Amino acid sequence: MISCHEMKNLTQRFPSFENSFMGLEYAPRLPKAMVKEIRELVAYARKFNDEVVRPRALAWDRQTHEDPDYLPHDLIKTVNDWGFYTMWVPKLFGGTGMSLPSVSPVMEEISSACLGIANVMGVMYLGLTSLISSFNMRITNRIIKDLIEGAKKGGPKLIAFAITEPAAGTDADDLELVDRGRVVTRAEKVDGGYKVNGRKVFISMGHVSEWTVFYAYTDLKKPSETMTALVVKKGTPGFSIGRHEDKMGQRVCPASEIIFEDCFIPDDQVLIDARSMKKFTSKPPSEVMMRHFDFLASSSKAGVCSMGTGVARGALEDALRFASKTEIKGKLLINHQWAQGILAEMYKNVVLGRLAYQEANYANCNRGTYDLLQMKPVFYYLKLMPPSYFRMLEPILNSDLATWAMSKMYLDLKKQKNVDCCSGMSSLAKVTGTDIGIRNCQLAMDLMGEAGLRQGKGMEKRLRDAKLLQIYESTNQMNRLILFKGLIAPSVPQARVFEQ
Amino acid sequence: MITSIMHDDMKSFEDLAANFMNKELDTRREQSDKYPFVPFDNTVLDKVRELGFLGITLPEDLGGIGQGIGTLCVVLESICRTDASLGALIFTNALAQEILLQSGSFDLLSDPVSRGRLIACSTYSDPEEHKDLPRAEKGKKGYTLTGSAGYVVLAPIAAYALMTARIPGQKGYSFFMVDMSQRGVKTSEPIFSLGVHACPVGDLTLDRAEAELAGQEGKGAAYFGEASSVMSAAAAAISLGIMRGSFDYALGYSNEREQGGGPIVNWSMIKTILADMAIQTRIGDMAVCVACSAIENRLPGWDIFVKSAALHVQEAACQVTTEGIQVLGGYGYMKDYGQEKRFRDAQQMKTLLGMAPLRKIDLLDRINAR
Repeated sequence: MISCHEMKNLTQRFPSFENSFMGLEYAPRLPKAMVKEIRELVAYARKFNDEVVRPRALAWDRQTHEDPDYLPHDLIKTVNDWGFYTMWVPKLFGGTGMSLPSVSPVMEEISSACLGIANVMGVMYLGLTSLISSFNMRITNRIIKDLIEGAKKGGPKLIAFAITEPAAGTDADDLELVDRGRVVTRAEKVDGGYKVNGRKVFISMGHVSEWTVFYAYTDLKKPSETMTALVVKKGTPGFSIGRHEDKMGQRVCPASEIIFEDCFIPDDQVLIDARSMKKFTSKPPSEVMMRHFDFLASSSKAGVCSMGTGVARGALEDALRFASKTEIKGKLLINHQWAQGILAEMYKNVVLGRLAYQEANYANCNRGTYDLLQMKPVFYYLKLMPPSYFRMLEPILNSDLATWAMSKMYLDLKKQKNVDCCSGMSSLAKVTGTDIGIRNCQLAMDLMGEAGLRQGKGMEKRLRDAKLLQIYESTNQMNRLILFKGLIAPSVPQARVFEQ
Repeated sequence: MITSIMHDDMKSFEDLAANFMNKELDTRREQSDKYPFVPFDNTVLDKVRELGFLGITLPEDLGGIGQGIGTLCVVLESICRTDASLGALIFTNALAQEILLQSGSFDLLSDPVSRGRLIACSTYSDPEEHKDLPRAEKGKKGYTLTGSAGYVVLAPIAAYALMTARIPGQKGYSFFMVDMSQRGVKTSEPIFSLGVHACPVGDLTLDRAEAELAGQEGKGAAYFGEASSVMSAAAAAISLGIMRGSFDYALGYSNEREQGGGPIVNWSMIKTILADMAIQTRIGDMAVCVACSAIENRLPGWDIFVKSAALHVQEAACQVTTEGIQVLGGYGYMKDYGQEKRFRDAQQMKTLLGMAPLRKIDLLDRINAR
């Protein structure tokens, strides 16, 4: 019918077969136990929604309006009691070690009940992933150990992630833009560490986190070449929490300003800097950072898509419940054809959102951050070995060997086209899921009319909460450009991104 | 709004509203939006009374200032660029007045107008949407109302409420004026809603509350239909003002905010977003102006023009204000800026005069009937 050579040529043509059918290629390779695990976790999340989220989400939201300085210590404790702060921490670091692709379906569930609570839970994993994708296993192990030990005692030592600056939002997110921007957080090399000055804004959970992974620049005139990833502990002299932002939604999850004033960060809290990475890779510092962000964003943006899908589903469920018991003009709303059309559109959106995050996760599993962990032998090995076994491996984590191995695998051996694909797919998912989140909320508001306007009914809160999804993890405009860069531009040699 | 098609009076009202907006509203908006968690700010309301904005369309012999719907729209559009809460308050009071005018109940307007008192009413729904309305019974002393009415706008601060109720054995519903100070009327705590926080809303419980019939029994739908057709222009003007405010702010911000080495307005992707916002705002302006002209000249099918304008502009305002936040990124989501409020307000205002899908169906029925 067709020769192998011809088939290869035709399927590599834009859009390539391998970029178009992630699931087709990867789904058959899924370990069966992972599917069972995801099913169990979805059920567990639903139970958490029934017992914690739905009964209390609206009261928490109202409380944040009555007291804008409210911090969710009680919620954090509850989330911890249910095990969510250690659930996806790899066993290697002492966590429960659930598979990473299960994060998205669980986040969809929690977000379908309350996006703010989902963020209180989920944003910790942004900090945690930034640690792991720094390839610096010694520090990662130390901080995660602190998280786990705290969690066991009922007070998890949470990890926040800080990159945005007052004058650099989009600029700070991309190394191709940062040199043109106005970043201000400076790390000056001093004996035994760095002295940091500057500010970060909109840092989710900044007020309540023990650790914050943040980025500073040793030369503010050459930020892309001198970007340094560091970790700061709460209470460190020179590190303080500024204002508690007054947000439209997701209010139960505080957004904080963090301030550095001659703050000393010791060398053993430097995650990535040009000096230390020379030992492990020949790649220039800017490429190391680029990979770090690509890996981080590829997993986190699939998660944000699942949150958008979740809020879209929550809106559908609210609208469906309302339509099923509200009579308009003599008959139930659910029996009005126009209402059925709206509900069908909303259902369609939810399914599309779910497909988008699944495809992004398949890309990550097959060609990205999770590829090694999800191979069947590795997956079963990690799943079946007892925690005591992993404790024996700790000396390796604390040695340069682990950092070297991670750097080799993810910096030197990982092909750029795979990184581009995962990056583009996760941006595609992020835009898709978050846009349908807003769309479904607006459709539900149309369908519910006056009833949807009351805070006590929950629907208006969903809309307020959903809007933030289109902004964080890079704005959807920026994500469209990343999608273009990762999935379209590679096939068009003359294409240039971020040029005006 | 497009000033070239306005007459002189309208232009002077626009200036008056703009001046008021700059002096009084701009600085108070963030604080007043915290209602019901802070006390209601009466200062602005007093100023509104003083300016005559509570009786713009009422004839002068009834104590109003005798302007047409165009002037009301100009004032609302101007005010809502800064704060739609006040626009919603003026709208609600004007809708109640319009229903009373349509029913010929001029006497019922006398006390509220002469004393500058507000009239509450259910602004966010067509009474036909409700299965259960309060029951009206006629006794020797007049009518009494019993039952509950949800989401009555201005109920927590109004002196009167214009209520809908059904008289047993009769088809349709009727309008009744209720004095809020009587024992038979109970108002809930203010309802915390999506938008226009400083336009208070409450649930009412009526227990044999004394009420005065507005117009004739069972004619409520006719009065509401006529009043809502006219007031659709005002609803559109509110949404127009919100989206104008959102566009103006986003444009100003994008000229100042620098990313990628220059103002973000230089990013062509941002330019197209802003252009879409500008297009919607300009089209909205045209739609409201033509709608007002159609009403004032009683063009054939004027109601269809007006209702189309309202549906279009309300939907556009939701899109524009979504982008209005997006242009500001994280800052747009914070309460320190007006954009997040405009986003909430636009969505809330989309429900004025009833559920949008039902209003669309009604519009097509009207077109089909012609």
